[in-house]
Amino acid sequence: MKEPKAYLHGNGDLQKTLVVVFLRGGADGLALVPAVGDDDYHRLRPRIAIAEKTAIRLDERFGLNPLMSALKPAVEEGALTTVHCVGSEDDTRSHFEAQDLMEHGGRAGGGWLGRFLRFREKASAGALSAVALGTAVPESLRGAPSATAMRSINDFAFSGSNDFVRSLQSLYQKQSGVFGARANDTFRALARLREVHTKDYSPANGAEYSSGRFATDLRLAAQLIKARLGVEAITLDLGGWDSHISQGPAITPNITRLADGLAAFRQDMGAEMKHTTVVVMSEFGRRVTENSVLGTDHGRGGVMFVMGQNGSKGRTIANWPGLARKNLVGPGDLPVTTNYRDVLFPILSEHAPDADMAKVFPDHKPEPA
Amino acid sequence: MGLDRRTFLKAGSTVALAGTAGCTQAPDALWPLTGLPEKPPADFTPPNAESIDLISHVINRLTFGPTPQLRTNIQRLAKREEEAVDQFIQQQLAPDSIDDRRVEHRVRIFETLNSEPIGEFYEFQPSLLREELTRATLMRAVYSKRQLFEVMVRFWSDHFSIDISKGECKWLKPADDRDIIRPHAMGTFSELLTATAKSQAMLTYLDGRENRIRKPSDKPNENYARELLELHTLGIDGGYSQKDIMETARCLSGWRIGRGLFQNGNVQFEPGLHDSRAKTVLGQAIPARKGLEGQKDLDDVLRIVTGHPATARHIATKLCRRFISDDPPALAIDAVAAKFTQTKGAIPDVLRALFHTKAFWNHRGVKFKQPLHLIASALRVTDAETNAGKPLLNFLTRMGHMPFEYPSPDGYPENAEAWQGTLLWRWNFAARLGNGQMAGTRHDRVRLAKRSGGLAKLAAHILGRRPSQEELTAINTSENPIGLLLASPGFQCS
Repeated sequence: MKEPKAYLHGNGDLQKTLVVVFLRGGADGLALVPAVGDDDYHRLRPRIAIAEKTAIRLDERFGLNPLMSALKPAVEEGALTTVHCVGSEDDTRSHFEAQDLMEHGGRAGGGWLGRFLRFREKASAGALSAVALGTAVPESLRGAPSATAMRSINDFAFSGSNDFVRSLQSLYQKQSGVFGARANDTFRALARLREVHTKDYSPANGAEYSSGRFATDLRLAAQLIKARLGVEAITLDLGGWDSHISQGPAITPNITRLADGLAAFRQDMGAEMKHTTVVVMSEFGRRVTENSVLGTDHGRGGVMFVMGQNGSKGRTIANWPGLARKNLVGPGDLPVTTNYRDVLFPILSEHAPDADMAKVFPDHKPEPA
Repeated sequence: MGLDRRTFLKAGSTVALAGTAGCTQAPDALWPLTGLPEKPPADFTPPNAESIDLISHVINRLTFGPTPQLRTNIQRLAKREEEAVDQFIQQQLAPDSIDDRRVEHRVRIFETLNSEPIGEFYEFQPSLLREELTRATLMRAVYSKRQLFEVMVRFWSDHFSIDISKGECKWLKPADDRDIIRPHAMGTFSELLTATAKSQAMLTYLDGRENRIRKPSDKPNENYARELLELHTLGIDGGYSQKDIMETARCLSGWRIGRGLFQNGNVQFEPGLHDSRAKTVLGQAIPARKGLEGQKDLDDVLRIVTGHPATARHIATKLCRRFISDDPPALAIDAVAAKFTQTKGAIPDVLRALFHTKAFWNHRGVKFKQPLHLIASALRVTDAETNAGKPLLNFLTRMGHMPFEYPSPDGYPENAEAWQGTLLWRWNFAARLGNGQMAGTRHDRVRLAKRSGGLAKLAAHILGRRPSQEELTAINTSENPIGLLLASPGFQCS
């Protein structure tokens, strides 16, 4: 039997990776997860509603947008959790303000992922613990003990030659204690990193990623996780959700991209999904009523997706207020009945039981979602 | 054709070095030695002791690392080495007496940082402000002649840590750095503390501006009061109670960033938001005060905590951890704390006392450099020309040490363990810098090797001592000897 590769932290395959997908622009929760079983939904969106019979059934009330059919197996195999009416306490409906608050995880210093990686009781996260797929490190990773923004695997390369590494090894061999152990860990990381760069990556289980940025990013995420480099958090963005006008054509390609990308990733990862969690979030949802140009405006409650291993965990969580006007907030928006931190809290606690959650989400009293 | 002097010298040095390295054939890697000048310049005399000597030690601890000239400059201060070092310390303790116009000229390109009045900062994108503040910080660490001053600015920036990413601190922290931390970094602790207490950025970061008492039943916001006692002054074991925190918070209620005064950077005391009743802080009574008189509560609180023996001890301990070792001897802490008490926190006097402890001189090469220190020292030691740009900032992010971005109020940790997980990026940084592949940063490695008088001497300059046999062997066979030295265990410590 092939021996499982140990992670660089010495806690073997227990090391988990969180993949955070941020849908920038305020993704319409009612387009991704329409309340097809709610008559008011069809009444308030006469022209852009999804018909009940076309949706991928989640439960009595909700379905997935038919453009997300690639995720049907994930739903059926209990790997996908959908949360509705979820969001932050920010009610400015401003992209900047809402993203800022959500990525910082409250009015706090640093980002929630940065604090999650930083504040551990045991050994802190390693040199390759956080990767931002993009040109810059997002606010959510501010304050991380290490964060690398990368566009391709080459951005993760080591600048020294093999000779350089060998010489270094001779210089570090006398080091003992924590420093020596850390040096040894690092030489192992370098060896794995070299493997990543010398071997071509081919997705497993017949998974096929499309050619767009988002799919390419997810492919890279899978490659990094499987290389066992000690990556604990990967962030990536999918932008273009600000659908004020002609919502259908505006976000149709995005919905497909999202679902196809996640499905390919899940297939590629296969059994490795047992130590991987994908979280999809957006700064806010959109107004319940469609506007005059077949679009929707900035709202409050939106949706989150959590994708993990197969099993009983996948479910639909919605503290659903109903769509009667009196149940909506502001100009007619779904209220936030589940705080996004309550979705993240149990995931983070499971990924790193030694994380100091009081520091990760300061001033937040967790309530089970 | 006869052998010219150049070729002769080249051959001679190659043989000499190959001899030390135990090689029979000169490796190609000896590129830096081609065409050595007859004599290395007089202002570049690398150390020649087996372990870190007096001058190298004081450079390691008081500065962000040696430049080619610094050692000679110190030697020239006096005949006896001890005296020269003492004079250097005196100079560094009086930063205002050091002409630093060249670095000020360099950082002038970061225009956002000159915003005046403070409201002007709000005209810039937070990302631009953050970038310019960080670049200026790195630039000053590398090029300032007031090195100890810059080291203390970093120290206090962590002691009074404000995360630039929290709320309005995005715009307020650059002003805090310029108007609060820097003017007082080498002044007195009480003035520094008072300035931070009235800093718009601090009032925002630790919610002081939310600390309002309108009616007796209102509860104060304790955040700043707690950190003031726990982090800024007495320390976690400083002997205060939860009651002291509450009472302190009541004293500090009513300070806010007034709209009218916003532009000039001042903070405003609002009697209507202040708890005017009597309080007791750390056993000392503070009388009930009506109206604007209430703002005297802040002065009283700061006077009480500054004079508390636990504060002297707490600051002394942190300074000794920074300048002596992660686990400094009690004797040194006692001496520094006593000086703090005696001088009412005059920072230069306190530091002078620290530099005169035995422990300071005995603990050499044992402090693991924080990443910013590592980067700055690598640039200084290679005499690099840098724009302190993105590639370097990326390395700071990868090593988890972007200034002003520690995500909790206690600031970046000082102990080695917290940073030893960053080796991969340290090595990567060193390899890239040594190869001359760092965009925006360049150094002339050939010139550097020539000026130092050969690779062994260059290694001595970089390490602060003669290289060991292993180190010599490694660099003599490397095509990137400078990178290797910067990545070696010896260079990770100061």
